[in-house]
Amino acid sequence: GLILLFYLVFYGFLAALFTFTMWVMLQTLSSDIPKYRDRISSPGLMISPKPDTALEFYFNKSDVQSYAEYVSTLRKFLESYDDSKQSQNINCTPGRIFDQNDVAVKKACRFNLSELGQCSGKEDKTFGYSKGTPCVLVKMNRIIGLKPEGEPHIHCTSKEEGMVEINYFPPDGLIDLMYFPYYGKSLHAHYLQPLVAVQLAINSNSTKEEIAIECKILGSPNLKNEDDRDKFLGRIAFKVQMTE
Amino acid sequence: IQEDHKLSASELEEKYGTSTNKGLSSARAAEILARDGPNSLTPPKATPEIVKFLKQMVGGFSILLWIGAAFSWISFGIQFAQGAESPFDNLYLGVVLALVVILTGIFAYYQEAKSTNIMASFSKMIPQQALVIRDAEKKELPAEELVVGDIVEIKGGDRIPADIRLIFTQGCKVDNSSLTGESEPQSRSCDFTHENPLETKNIAFYSTTCVEGTATGIVINTGDRTVIGRIASLASGVGNEKTPIAIEIEHFVYLVAGVAISIGVLFFIISVSMRYKILDSIIFLIGIIVANVPEGLLATVTVSLSLTAKRMAKKNCLVKNLEAVETLGSTSVICSDKTGTLTQNRMTVAHLWFDNQIYSADTSEDQTTQPFDQTSSTWTALSKIVTLCNRAEFRPGQENLPIMKRIVVGDASETALLKFTEVILGDVMSIRARNKKVAEIPFNSTNKFQLSIHETDDPNDKRFLLVMKGAPERILERCSTIMINGKEEPLDSEKAEAFQTAYMELGGMGERVLGFCHLYLPENEFPDTYPFDTDSMNFPTSNLCFVGLLSMIDPPRSTVPDAVSKCRSAGIKVIMVTGDHPITAKAIAKSVGIISATSETVEDIAKRLNIPVEQVNRREATAAVVNGMELKDMSLQQLDEILCNHSEIVFARTSPQQKLIIVEGCQRQGAVVAVTGDGVNDSPALKKADIGIAMGIAGSDAAKNAADMVLLDDNFASIVTGVEEGRLIFDNLKKTIAYTLTKNIAELCPFLIYIIASIPLPIGTITILFIDLGTDIIPSVALAYEKAESDIMNRRPRNKRRDRLVNEQLAVYSYLQIGIMQSVGAFVTYFTVYAEQGFLPSTLLGVRVNWESNAINDFEDSYGQEWTKYQRMYLQWTGYTAFFVSITIQQVADLIIRKTRRNSIFQQGLFRNKVIWVGIFSQIAIASILTYGLGHVTALNFTPLRFQYWFVAVPFAILIWVYDEVRKLLIRRYPGSWWDKNMYY
Repeated sequence: GLILLFYLVFYGFLAALFTFTMWVMLQTLSSDIPKYRDRISSPGLMISPKPDTALEFYFNKSDVQSYAEYVSTLRKFLESYDDSKQSQNINCTPGRIFDQNDVAVKKACRFNLSELGQCSGKEDKTFGYSKGTPCVLVKMNRIIGLKPEGEPHIHCTSKEEGMVEINYFPPDGLIDLMYFPYYGKSLHAHYLQPLVAVQLAINSNSTKEEIAIECKILGSPNLKNEDDRDKFLGRIAFKVQMTE
Repeated sequence: IQEDHKLSASELEEKYGTSTNKGLSSARAAEILARDGPNSLTPPKATPEIVKFLKQMVGGFSILLWIGAAFSWISFGIQFAQGAESPFDNLYLGVVLALVVILTGIFAYYQEAKSTNIMASFSKMIPQQALVIRDAEKKELPAEELVVGDIVEIKGGDRIPADIRLIFTQGCKVDNSSLTGESEPQSRSCDFTHENPLETKNIAFYSTTCVEGTATGIVINTGDRTVIGRIASLASGVGNEKTPIAIEIEHFVYLVAGVAISIGVLFFIISVSMRYKILDSIIFLIGIIVANVPEGLLATVTVSLSLTAKRMAKKNCLVKNLEAVETLGSTSVICSDKTGTLTQNRMTVAHLWFDNQIYSADTSEDQTTQPFDQTSSTWTALSKIVTLCNRAEFRPGQENLPIMKRIVVGDASETALLKFTEVILGDVMSIRARNKKVAEIPFNSTNKFQLSIHETDDPNDKRFLLVMKGAPERILERCSTIMINGKEEPLDSEKAEAFQTAYMELGGMGERVLGFCHLYLPENEFPDTYPFDTDSMNFPTSNLCFVGLLSMIDPPRSTVPDAVSKCRSAGIKVIMVTGDHPITAKAIAKSVGIISATSETVEDIAKRLNIPVEQVNRREATAAVVNGMELKDMSLQQLDEILCNHSEIVFARTSPQQKLIIVEGCQRQGAVVAVTGDGVNDSPALKKADIGIAMGIAGSDAAKNAADMVLLDDNFASIVTGVEEGRLIFDNLKKTIAYTLTKNIAELCPFLIYIIASIPLPIGTITILFIDLGTDIIPSVALAYEKAESDIMNRRPRNKRRDRLVNEQLAVYSYLQIGIMQSVGAFVTYFTVYAEQGFLPSTLLGVRVNWESNAINDFEDSYGQEWTKYQRMYLQWTGYTAFFVSITIQQVADLIIRKTRRNSIFQQGLFRNKVIWVGIFSQIAIASILTYGLGHVTALNFTPLRFQYWFVAVPFAILIWVYDEVRKLLIRRYPGSWWDKNMYY
């Protein structure tokens, strides 16, 4: 009996102490930006849609069912880019870092879906999957305060020559500097990260073959893309196999 | 059964095909050697090295770690077959675990081998030579080459090279003490005197020594077939008991393994029912096992024990078996030899009686003067007799040695007398030279006296001086006068009565008493040229003048009484077991305190109350002197009764075989028994005892082999210092284990919370190994250097059944209190690291699956930033490092609180044990090297850590210290209270 009471009090005290120290620790944190950002100095790349099986796209262009999931994922992903959702966003000056350090309420720059051209899903509801020209959206991870230098753009290559023709939207896979820097979830609530759509026009000879694509971010000295250990830092590799 | 002692010399010649004059031919001898093997004792069968090594590989926690390694490899195999991305982690983990087992195994094996080697050097003997007649020639041969039928010659000082049937002897005496424990030399002749080959005079036994005289004999047994060889093989039949510390460690291993397995299995079931994959559950299981097993602890215990063993070796206790270090500490009964162990093993003059008065002499080891009154002229006369009537001489060339250390040629009593007079009078040899000896009758057992006639050193006195010493009653018979204060007075009945009283008193003290008398031969009857003839005794040997008595004893070592009283206060019963006469044994027992001044034996009570012994209430007697003859007829119950009812026991006239019975009797009472011994026949008792102690100087090789410990100086007092060290190491091992177990919880909790709350893993398996085998090793060894908290020699020996090394309180306090506090401190650091990088605690709950997914490279944190898998892993390793550093910091506090179990740290002194600070420094240094030096080696999962994270756990470390001080304060303040019972380990 006494021993139970003792442990009740003892653990109660420890729990209170734990809560108190955690509370003190949390008080020292800002709700806007994390204290340190040194573990993510350079952003990773990611694609949408993202197949469950290790970034490999398998589909039959004549079988709607086989790519239905990709299409719906893309549609869902682009919902937040819909014009109706971007009413509060402003048009920023392209090609320039949009510094808002002095402003209390950070504005988000508008990203027009039309920039994605054929991959915007407006003209082709199947994002090119039915035509054998599937679209993949490439995005750069959000990092608070990151200001890319130079002219960052996405460039993709295929190991197998001549199997696929790659088109970029916006042209040259440009990522506009006006979308940077990011100010964090609470200050920059409506922020939309810039996207680059990669359209893969697969050569009709190359159907049934697995095509390995690697996309990298180029043109910016402060965005790494050659890290030995982190295969997603400024680059991403995926495979596409299309049948008819 | 041997019949050789009954055969005549010619029958023996026939039986063994030899000749007493010519011996065997070399060819025949070679044949027999090939048939019988060399004449040496087969050493006890040693366990093959590889078996010893493998035993280390599977003992203790090794099995658990092997299981962990096997699981790692299995999961690697499964992952590899499934083609997962980084399956090599588990392969490496398995290899690391296997390496840990192998390395700690090698370490333990090396430690054991090292302590065995110390002993091996002991048993190496100089090859013995024997003088053999072969091919009708005398040859020196190595004793190993002797065969049955060889004719060997032995002389005084030789060790008997085999069992020999004597065919020619001249004044031959042998010392059979190594065989029978009888320390008196026994004469040997060619006559068949007893049916029993062990008792008959015409056989000399292997490994005994010839003290004086010469002899020739036929070898009748060699090697293992000798009497001693048969006893030695008997000793190896006595089972080796497990040492108390081995039992304790086993108990502890079971406890920890039990906790590890039950928590492991419990969480395996929990994780499976939480729909984790089986493979993941297995990996969790490995983590739990690794966190639970104190990998470095058994090595630490070995090191601590060997440190103590070294310390004990400096104090003349050489420990053969590391675990025996602690056994000595838990000893509750010491069965000690008398001669050499409790006593100095040399006769010394203890008392004198002259002028109707008893004087005591100094018997200490390093006497340089004698304090008693030497002014009486009776003493002058007595000292002259003692000096002159003595055949013992110092060996030349020892003038610079202290008198007591000089080697003397002569028997024990004469040696004692020589040294005694040398101390008082100085240069005895020149006194003898000045008083030239003209005739002498040496001591023999029929007339029981020794006589010599000298010229005097007074040039004016032409008389001869006849001096005589011998058995007091025989001397008195020959006297008609007695010297009192330098004057001869007639020996009337009153004076004879005084003599009797003194004689009884000295004899009652167990001392060997000698009487001394003299006579100045009248000058007219015995002129210068008088031809003294010792055969016809043409001089008076009666009507002499009695001068005085001297009594001798083998006195106790001066350190022994103190050591015995220490044993008494330490609750250790000291039992004397000796082959000596009960009176002598009792006298020594009284003088060293084995029988205390106030206690009485049954016989004493009977004498005091003047009633027959049978009527005495045996319970009233605290002391008992048991004769070996009585012991022989006793039933086990009677022996148990004696051992139970008497706290002070002396066994006298016991044979070494009876020692075994006494040891077994004590063990039946539940005692941990230490036994000292030196003879070959002691080896069964030494083996049977919980700790056998062999004498380093007087001990035979067989005894040293059978013993667990060798007493280098043969001194009982050394045993007591050994006991003290043994008790200290038990306490300190408790501290070491408590220290080590504590952080197991801080290593285990992360896994449990990881499984239940699905947070990113707070600490990795490899990191845990770095704590267990890295930062924690030196501090836990440092606790072995801790001084005792109180006088450990003032408490009773620990109860084997109740006072465990790892008791419930220790486990509970370490696991459920300090361990949990450490975990809380480490978790605060963990959450701080994650929160300051962007993952608030609330975000971390339940993220495990996504967090660990290789496919998710845009994992969002609390601030909307996105992380790749590798960035998350790097953060996770930073978490490991922070958790590791927090445990290390709190282990510093843990180390400091473990210095004491009851006293405040300030009572104990924070800086008295310098090694603790070496430990703390090493801990911090190793942690710094791992974090900053190896922080870039990915496989080790350490990352450079922000400096401030080292201090997050500091408040918790201080809390641990303060809490423990409060615990100790309450324990001291309220002994016996609920708190004391539950919190004192």
